[in-house]
Amino acid sequence: MNHTSFLALALVAFPLTNAANAVERAKSEDVIISRPGVLPSAVLEMTDEPGKWFKDPKSGGSLVVIKPGQAVLIKMTDTNTDHTITSLLWQPGAANFPVDQEKPSNASVTQTFDKPGLYVFTCKVHPYMLGAVVVDDPKTEGLDIGSEIQLVTGAKVPTTSDIAKKLLRTFFVGTTPALWRDYRTPNWEVKLPDLPINLAGSVLKLSVLNFSEPNALLQPQTPGVGEVWVDTQFEGVSGKTKHGTATQIDASNWTIKQKVKGVEQNMNNPHNMWTDATYKYIYQTEWFDKRLTTFDRTSGKVYNTQVVGQNPSHAMSNPLNGMLYVAINGEDRVLKLSPGEFPTALGNINTGPHTGPHGHHITDDGKYMITPNALASSVTIVDLASEQATEIPTGGVIPIAAWSDMDHKAYVANLLGTPPKMLSSLTVIDIDGKKKIKDIDLAENYDPISGEHKGEAYGLGPIQTPVSPDGKYVVSANFLSTTITILDTKTDKVVKSLPCEPGCHGVNFGLKKGGGYYAYVASKFANDLLVFDMDKLDIAGRILLVDPKDGQITGNYGMGGQGVLPLPLADAGMLAPTLKLVGTGKLSPEVEGWLTLVTQQQRGN
Amino acid sequence: MRRTRPQCGLSLFLALSLTWPGALLAASAASAGDQHLITLKASAMPSGQLAYEMVSHKVKSSTGKESDLTERYASGPTIPGPTLVMKEGDAAEVTLQHGIDDAQLPVSIHVHGVHYKIDSDGTMKLLNGVADEAAFPGRPYTYKWTAAPGTAGTWAYHDHAFGNPMLGAEDKGLFGTLIVNPASGKVPALIDGKVVDVDLADIKREFILWMHETTFWGQELNHIIEGGKEIPLWTNPTVGARLGEKVRFHVIGIGTAFHTFHLHAHRWIEAGTVGGAVDTVNVGPISRTSFVVKAGEGVGPGDWHYHCHVIQHMQSGMMGDFKVVE
Repeated sequence: MNHTSFLALALVAFPLTNAANAVERAKSEDVIISRPGVLPSAVLEMTDEPGKWFKDPKSGGSLVVIKPGQAVLIKMTDTNTDHTITSLLWQPGAANFPVDQEKPSNASVTQTFDKPGLYVFTCKVHPYMLGAVVVDDPKTEGLDIGSEIQLVTGAKVPTTSDIAKKLLRTFFVGTTPALWRDYRTPNWEVKLPDLPINLAGSVLKLSVLNFSEPNALLQPQTPGVGEVWVDTQFEGVSGKTKHGTATQIDASNWTIKQKVKGVEQNMNNPHNMWTDATYKYIYQTEWFDKRLTTFDRTSGKVYNTQVVGQNPSHAMSNPLNGMLYVAINGEDRVLKLSPGEFPTALGNINTGPHTGPHGHHITDDGKYMITPNALASSVTIVDLASEQATEIPTGGVIPIAAWSDMDHKAYVANLLGTPPKMLSSLTVIDIDGKKKIKDIDLAENYDPISGEHKGEAYGLGPIQTPVSPDGKYVVSANFLSTTITILDTKTDKVVKSLPCEPGCHGVNFGLKKGGGYYAYVASKFANDLLVFDMDKLDIAGRILLVDPKDGQITGNYGMGGQGVLPLPLADAGMLAPTLKLVGTGKLSPEVEGWLTLVTQQQRGN
Repeated sequence: MRRTRPQCGLSLFLALSLTWPGALLAASAASAGDQHLITLKASAMPSGQLAYEMVSHKVKSSTGKESDLTERYASGPTIPGPTLVMKEGDAAEVTLQHGIDDAQLPVSIHVHGVHYKIDSDGTMKLLNGVADEAAFPGRPYTYKWTAAPGTAGTWAYHDHAFGNPMLGAEDKGLFGTLIVNPASGKVPALIDGKVVDVDLADIKREFILWMHETTFWGQELNHIIEGGKEIPLWTNPTVGARLGEKVRFHVIGIGTAFHTFHLHAHRWIEAGTVGGAVDTVNVGPISRTSFVVKAGEGVGPGDWHYHCHVIQHMQSGMMGDFKVVE
């Protein structure tokens, strides 16, 4: 604490007349030896509530304004799981920055800010949880944003740069559900207040970030095979305190079959799903919780909900034996479970200290698993037979998802690039050789200052990056550029960039009727599912994820698109165990029907 | 320190003929205890945290003497809330006012340690089956507590209603301390290597430290100042004493985390431990330790560290100093 505040305390304790001040103050300092600590001037409370992940208890928003020298208390008393409090961007040269909690916990932070400007915090486990502090010097005009921002990736950029604007816009859209893209309305209007902001002396209005785009849904011409599950993680549900549903879409006619809400109490932020070889069960992770829920694919009936660990993120099975592997994102392990109605934990695979595995992938021959370690700049390769794990440093910032091809080459999305040079990157891993091959610059053609992008390599902030079942392409969903980038695996070059939606997030492949594949892309801050035709390399459709017949949905209609699970599984190796069950009576007539539509090419022949 | 306090002259202090805890000790000789009339208010801090503040605290002693202790407290809401001091044999009527702006939700006080009837449980009808025992805007609620024999100790009081009728909003800052001093006026302590009974009148400073998640929220009860004074010390403060002074610590947990409270270079006694002396104590939610040490005993002056000994909590800055000066 500083001297002035102690003096203030002494004066509070001893209201005195001016004449007696000097003498009495000396006495009071003698009497009171204690020195107060920091009294926070503002609070950001971390929550599971979509868009309000760092919530100011006063305004309900995600931004607090304080004066230089004041402090903010960031605490985790309103969430069901562990997080980190980590600086995403801050003012260069600010004292005591960056803030970064090494591993997830429920520990709070009281942070004092000395330098005016913008500071943004995130959680390394859930990196779209965003909260901002503006340290505003009352003597200057407008809210002080500062002249530059230091990014966690190591880059320092002017606040007038395109990348800074993108980050600001992402912050305001992401933390304001009213600004999410609602395809039930004719236009997407991003309207921010006419609040003056000060970028190193030049005063602008926050409304310079405003824009408007028309909303147009599009029915794909060619049906898909089977169905598509999308975790609409932000939908509000009647009678529940936590958000999220799993939306089931009939790919033959693009209609919503049902929304699964999980157990009676809550299904807290359902993030990613997998199934068993018979397609009877859906295994559902609850990412802002500790649980895995197993429900019936057809009826939605919940069979089982069990605690598996902090922040279970992704689930995937080994096609060889059906064993289910759940990445425990808030810890350092992948949990192995038996398949079926009541999955039983069989053991843990340690991925290395402070790794926090997120979107893992199993090779389609069932030999290896690769985990992108969101809390370490590394991946871990696990030999599934021996369960021997090898951690490989990659240098990427928040490696969030991995996907391997048939030749055991894996592409890993680094959410925040690879310092010092790449703002946005994929790391390529040789699984057999257990080594990093290279980094691919996903935003090679983008100028972060001007915003110009001459060329196709314009993907900032990749999240999920699956390899197409035929091995030809990698499709990346990029949250910051809101683009989808298509990478040719022969050249490892981006061959196409297309606009995506705000909060562009999950990608997975499904079978297109008559042959070929669709890539399905879900976005957090929009309520459509984007259908991407892998033959035409173009957008084939936009499906509304709102079900107007479902009266139990109370808000954020169709929003929060994250995990995508098309069935039948499109990867030939993953499809094989189900094809083997044709005619055995173990598959439902519906699934048998789907499989009759699978072409020879889709079977991998 | 950004709050201001209504100006009231030193004369007001002098006008109050109280000495504290002397008055309580004097009264303890009488058969019946003191009657406390307390009014608290639940309010929002400038940061948006919620907290209790003292509105008024009057005491009628068994001899009929009335005194007003209100000036002892800090003005405005504080975390932890006002520390209420009673002694075995006392009774209290505690009225809670709802002062949380823009909130219609009820707020309550659930107290630990002392005796009360079911209508003073401070919970909602959902839990107690009797009534919503909480303050609503414009509708205060009064609780009746008896510090019956056997209730001496340091206790928590906290909200059990706001925002969630099962839990309340203690996590937002609605918690405070109740100290019930023993009727004997003495507490056992390890002083100069021996367990002795220390006269409470000889304790000049008490330090309240709440362990919430990874933060200490502190307060000093200073008995050197005439009439006593409660001084908010906020987060992870320095608590200070003179070498050789007997000081009492009250360390209380709240929230979900479990802690181990450690104070460097000092030992105290904890009932039930082998040999009696400890320098680290487990503190879970609403469990507590209260102990007297002689500041700097055998070790001299210094900035003696105190902290939670859970490594991750230490990494998050859950620490402060016990400053012992000559």
